[in-house]
Amino acid sequence: GPKNLKSGPLRSSARNQRSQRAANRRETFLPESVNVGSEATMQGGSSGIGYGLKYQARCISDVKADTDHTSFLTGTLSLKEENEVHLLRLSSGGSELVCEGLFSHPNEIWDLASCPFDQRIFSTVFSTGESFGAAIWQIPEPYGQSNSSTLDCVASLDAHVGKINCVLWCPSGKSDKLISMDEQNLVLWSLDSSKKSAEVVSKESAGMRHSLSGGAWNPHDVNSVAATSESSIQFWDLRTMKNVNSIERAHVRNVDYNTKREHILVTADDESGIHIWDLRKAKAPVQELPGHTHWTWAVRCNPEYEELILSVGTDSAVNLWFASASSEKQASERSAEASRQRVNPLLNSYTDYEDSVYGLAWSSREPWFFASLSYDGRVVIESVKPFLPRR
Amino acid sequence: MATEAAPMDEKAKRMRDLLSSFYTPDPSISTPTSSISTSFDNINGPSFDADQYMDLMIKKSNLDVLLQRHVQMAAEIKNLDTDLQMLVYENYNKFISATDTIKRMKSNIFGMEGNMDQLLHKIMSVQSRSDGVNTSLFEKREHIEKLHRTRNLLRKVQFIYDLPARLQKCIKSEAYGDAVRFYTGAMPILKVYGDTSFKDCRRASEEAIETIIKNLQTKLFSDSESIQARAEAAVLLKQLDVPVDSLKDKLLEKLEQSLDGLQINPDEASKLAEHNVSSKDEESNNQGPAKIHEDAVRGFSEAMRAYREIFPDSEERLFKLARALTTTHFENMELYIRKRVSAADFLGIFREYSAFPPADVLLLSNSLRIIWEDVVLMDEVLPEAALSDLSAEAAQVTLKQFVARTFSHLQQDISDTLLKFDINQKEVVDGEVLKVVLEASGKAEFRQLLDENTGIFVKMNDLLIGWIQKGFQDFFSEKIHAGLILVLAQLSVVIEQKVIPRIAEEITASFSGGNSQAFIPGELCRVFHAASEKLLQHYIDTRTQKISNVLRKRFKTPNWVKHKEPREVHMYVDMLLQQLEEVGKEVKQILPQGTFRKHKRSDSNGSNTTTSSRSTTLHSDKMARSNSQRARSQLFETHLAKLFKQKVEIFTKVEFTQESVVTTTVKLCLKSLQEYVRLQTFNRSGFQQIQLDIQFLKAPLKETVEDEAAIDFLLDEVIVAASERCLDATPLEPPILDKLIQAKLAKSKEHNNNNKTTVSS
Repeated sequence: GPKNLKSGPLRSSARNQRSQRAANRRETFLPESVNVGSEATMQGGSSGIGYGLKYQARCISDVKADTDHTSFLTGTLSLKEENEVHLLRLSSGGSELVCEGLFSHPNEIWDLASCPFDQRIFSTVFSTGESFGAAIWQIPEPYGQSNSSTLDCVASLDAHVGKINCVLWCPSGKSDKLISMDEQNLVLWSLDSSKKSAEVVSKESAGMRHSLSGGAWNPHDVNSVAATSESSIQFWDLRTMKNVNSIERAHVRNVDYNTKREHILVTADDESGIHIWDLRKAKAPVQELPGHTHWTWAVRCNPEYEELILSVGTDSAVNLWFASASSEKQASERSAEASRQRVNPLLNSYTDYEDSVYGLAWSSREPWFFASLSYDGRVVIESVKPFLPRR
Repeated sequence: MATEAAPMDEKAKRMRDLLSSFYTPDPSISTPTSSISTSFDNINGPSFDADQYMDLMIKKSNLDVLLQRHVQMAAEIKNLDTDLQMLVYENYNKFISATDTIKRMKSNIFGMEGNMDQLLHKIMSVQSRSDGVNTSLFEKREHIEKLHRTRNLLRKVQFIYDLPARLQKCIKSEAYGDAVRFYTGAMPILKVYGDTSFKDCRRASEEAIETIIKNLQTKLFSDSESIQARAEAAVLLKQLDVPVDSLKDKLLEKLEQSLDGLQINPDEASKLAEHNVSSKDEESNNQGPAKIHEDAVRGFSEAMRAYREIFPDSEERLFKLARALTTTHFENMELYIRKRVSAADFLGIFREYSAFPPADVLLLSNSLRIIWEDVVLMDEVLPEAALSDLSAEAAQVTLKQFVARTFSHLQQDISDTLLKFDINQKEVVDGEVLKVVLEASGKAEFRQLLDENTGIFVKMNDLLIGWIQKGFQDFFSEKIHAGLILVLAQLSVVIEQKVIPRIAEEITASFSGGNSQAFIPGELCRVFHAASEKLLQHYIDTRTQKISNVLRKRFKTPNWVKHKEPREVHMYVDMLLQQLEEVGKEVKQILPQGTFRKHKRSDSNGSNTTTSSRSTTLHSDKMARSNSQRARSQLFETHLAKLFKQKVEIFTKVEFTQESVVTTTVKLCLKSLQEYVRLQTFNRSGFQQIQLDIQFLKAPLKETVEDEAAIDFLLDEVIVAASERCLDATPLEPPILDKLIQAKLAKSKEHNNNNKTTVSS
């Protein structure tokens, strides 16, 4: 296919460009930045594996259902050009990032999520510039061949009017449930991928006052979904489709559950960085992390190492945090807490990015890898192995 | 030398290894000590393979070497043989001597049992004889004992008959001690047999005792008697079963009454203190009150000492009394603090503070010093009462209150002034006030409080600092006013840089001994430094948050895809600039100016217009190109351009200067602006509106910010972001752009003029 042929050289040119850029930066900027940060830059630049998308992009997702490879799906955000979805695979040695498939997508992609039980299925939220839409797609089989660059649309989630924020897949294995969320509504879908249909199970409005901005599905309780709104974090019970609980907190931008520790939720907001909550006593956060110099855009808990948290921000950095404190410990061991405070929770800051970083995903297969995506379309895979807690 | 010594050593070592391997059953223990490697050519190793070694030797070496090796080995084997023989011989010797020893031991033990039997038999016979002697003497002993008892009884009867006469004699000679001893000795008998023939005798002696008790009581109450005599009297009375407690109560009540006179009125205390201070100048004249107070306390402690000796079991009461005294002292002081602090006009006080040392603090410290002195006096008398601990605790509480109070008032005062500031807009005057507050709180308040170097203060310095810090934190969480945070940030810096070193100096000057360990200036400096940085960051955060809210509203409300043609610069720009202006004002009042100033104001005006016009043309160029349906290549170009452009450091470390804070705030706001733009999709008019607004912002922003390049970069980024998010990015024609901006400028000028006229009228 012409597409694939085209993407090959372009990719390599992107690589060249990047390495050139890195070289350029090292020459021109190292002498100026004599601070400690320069070392981190060097480190981040040398260890990461990069890949360039053709256009700007915001979202990347781990392909959890692919148990044989560490792969990621990412999609571009271009208002005027033909958008693409890239299926990227990390080579077995973890030294190279290979494009396994390149598919055209009709509109610019604002959200992308891979299906947790079928590696060929994923969802996108897209915009035509005038209006938003959401759909479930299937990668044609066998992918990677020349004639298979168009995606099959499994279902269109067209129950929305306003700006759609995200599509969430039920995290528990093989459930066919999906949630799509726009600024006012929460819609629960039942997906039948073989019949290529998705039906609305229930739909509920959060009310005009609450402008929803995103959410996360509780991995410990399939009936619970956290949604972020302008003034609070809301917890929805999917059986009754009611907002059963909420934490008052303005302008939360992103939320993620800790998959290893029940009741622990991590949020990011523009103003005061990262907060870790214990949902059993949600009056005040258990721990606060400073976040980023500018907005903290997204946070993700590591699927395996419960203390590790990643965050990305519009200050063109990815920060790796170590949040060891469980709520009980903190309350009882005051002296220990004091000593812990002295230890910097920021394990590392990856700063080798040219633009704001919006996309972030841990690999669930090899949980020491994560993929980050900056606005200029650059995917960087990094390994956190040097920072893993000793067990 | 060394090379020669080495082989010798090695040989000796090998020898030792061999011997030790001979003695240890497990060869693996000895092998690690050997210096020879454990490879197959190690002849002593457990894995030594002779054939392999042979093969290798033959292969490797020539005949000479082999022969040499053979001779060497033969010698070694011979050596080993002799060693072995020696060892065997020695071992045999030892074995023989061991057998001999065992034999001797056996023969010695033989016959021991017979001897033991004999011994037992003899002991038995001795015992039976002694029993016989005992029984034969028993009767006589009984008789003697009976006689003795009778004699004793007779003597007692004689004593009782003599008792009245004896007592009378004692009264005459004032030997009350003997009298009491006699009487108590006779008491049991008199009690039992008093109604029989001893009747008269009993009555007489009781009468005598009555007079003795009377005499003793008068002795006890008379102050002229010596303490010892009184104590003795008390003891004797107690022995006579006279209820002493009631007497004691009476005495202690008297003491308690005298306490009221001892209470300190803080006002007086200050006078006392002043007199203490001034007494150096005018020694003779005006020592009155201080002397009186001191005498009173001394008298009190003397009395306590006496009572303690008189009534050793009354310590509890005395403790209570002493404690009551200290507590009332502190209560008085607390009351005083409350009164004093709440009644005062704070602005006035702060002004005063900056001129004189604060009266409050001086007073407090003087009162504390007096109390401390009192306590020390009393402590000498009653060390067990733990008065010093008590007063330390109480002082702690009082100080805590004081700090809390001053803090709340400081807080109130600052917010009051800031409120005034908001209402009146008298920047100069209130700027002064802010400075006064800052200086007052920084220099006078804490310094005075901390500089005090009495024992209590040293004990409590760190606690105090802890509270102050906590005060800050509480303060900080309340988010009253952004300006306050800035004041606090600067205050922390002042404390870090000036106050702590001074305290450290003071402490080391006055206590070169052990006490100063509680105060670690380095640690405190670190804490305050961290606090100040945090506060400054917090200030910037709150400020940018406010602006961010303005921007959020601006970008969320309109439908940008259906935007109408831009008619004027949007009003959010005004709000943005107003907010930034506020930041600038606050910062100018509180923070110092940076050392480096990029340009003077006069030529900045000139250059500004030129740069702005140039950048306009630049932009229209860029937009024209982007318009020509090559948006992708345009993106590519901007990326390429970025590559070759020096990356502008947007997020730099904030410093404690006016310029740095303002610049950081502006940068963060522009970055937010860019991010908000990226989240929208624009039609042509929407894009043009953004272009217009940004163009308008350019000049005023550059005027306020030192890092013009960064601002240019960020403003460009906003335009680029808007064009990327626009379906049809056709820029406004430069003349129209210019016209709209001029219109806005004229309007704002008019607005300003109006404001000025209203203010002046």
